[in-house]
Amino acid sequence: MIKTDVLVIGAGPAGSTAAKHAALGGADVILVDKKSEIGAPKRCAEGVSMGGLESLGIKPNPQWITRKIEGVRLVSPNGTSVWLTSDTVELPEAGYILERKVFDKHMAMDAARAGSRIMIKTLARSLQQEDDGYIVNLETMGEEFQIKANIIIAADGPESRVARWAGLNTATKPKDMESAAQFEMVGVEMEDNHCIEFYFGGVAPGGYAWIFPKGDDIANVGLGVLSTKTSKSAYEHLLEFVEDCPATKNAQPVELNIGGDPVGGMPKKLVTDGLMVVGDAAGQVNPLTGGGIISGMTGGMLAGKVAAKAIEDDDTSKERLREYEKLCHESIGKEISKYLKVKDYMLSLSDEELDSIAEAFKDVEFEKISTTELVKKLVKVSPRALLKLGKLF
Amino acid sequence: MKVNDWCMYCGECAGVCPRNLIEVKETSIIFSKEECKDCRLCMQVCPIGALEPEE
Repeated sequence: MIKTDVLVIGAGPAGSTAAKHAALGGADVILVDKKSEIGAPKRCAEGVSMGGLESLGIKPNPQWITRKIEGVRLVSPNGTSVWLTSDTVELPEAGYILERKVFDKHMAMDAARAGSRIMIKTLARSLQQEDDGYIVNLETMGEEFQIKANIIIAADGPESRVARWAGLNTATKPKDMESAAQFEMVGVEMEDNHCIEFYFGGVAPGGYAWIFPKGDDIANVGLGVLSTKTSKSAYEHLLEFVEDCPATKNAQPVELNIGGDPVGGMPKKLVTDGLMVVGDAAGQVNPLTGGGIISGMTGGMLAGKVAAKAIEDDDTSKERLREYEKLCHESIGKEISKYLKVKDYMLSLSDEELDSIAEAFKDVEFEKISTTELVKKLVKVSPRALLKLGKLF
Repeated sequence: MKVNDWCMYCGECAGVCPRNLIEVKETSIIFSKEECKDCRLCMQVCPIGALEPEE
């Protein structure tokens, strides 16, 4: 049996960051991932803010950045566009479109360089609790084996099972699980291929559609829907969207990505004895935008640091690990709670209301582009938003 | 639950299964039929409609 201080299950950005910081803190760390290639297939639109990367101490690298973003276009159901571009609005932080297949591997490599041992194509099948940690049953290439770990960090994504094995209630309700489908397309004819585009309303019930440029005529074109708001699958909505959208009607897909995005916020409990849950598995996603790379990595960083200290202190009890829960709720949780309220408000709007808000937005002068600034302006242009969200920001 | 050939093993079904019965390997789904209560939440959320009720 292999023994380790910390076992991280799932090598997405959150898991790799957790492994890196646990190893930097002096713990013995093993990072396992069920896939044969870390980062593939990608399961997101690949957008990230430069400020977010900076906060994690990660320098932008041209190897995993495909495009620098210089603005945003918001499109309402009737086609009304609100352009927020760098020539009219101050960009508080640059945005990037990543190449997740490269980025995720680089993050895992960072974890390895910090001292973690990486095991690919390794699936966690079950676990048993011991007095001083867990014995995890795993499988690699048809072979079963066990790892004994004092601390487990569950980073097994939206399909998370590991935390639930340990008794944490992390299952996502369908009303909180955004079902997403995306094409990477070539031949995309965007009006400005340095701006990201968002389409709201009936094109994506309960969510939105996006076009994120990765090159002159290459883009991630996708959408997320709530299955409680539509009888069609995300893929069916996507086919309709790309056929109807002027930018994509002549484009062709070279890749199809699908997956879930938990947008219901973080569960109250993120730890139990000897176990912490991070990233999508912990609902560390902005409920309004569905973006979760930076928040998941932030959760990973906090979990990794707390794990290393807990190993050093020889105390892996849930009381000790609650430091992670506290830090998470302070650093990510407050924002998530605010955006949950904004999401609920946005879900209550009809296509007509979205159109009227877009009309009002057209004449608004912005100082900055950020989700928070957009919501602040929304409160000013929509009386209903003022009523519902007035004191949030 | 019947898993159709076009399943992409994204795992969204596993994330919503209230009984934690669905295990997604890289290119297969392991599912405990005996314990399933047929709530069909997995079918509801599948982004590509790859899951269907067993006939």
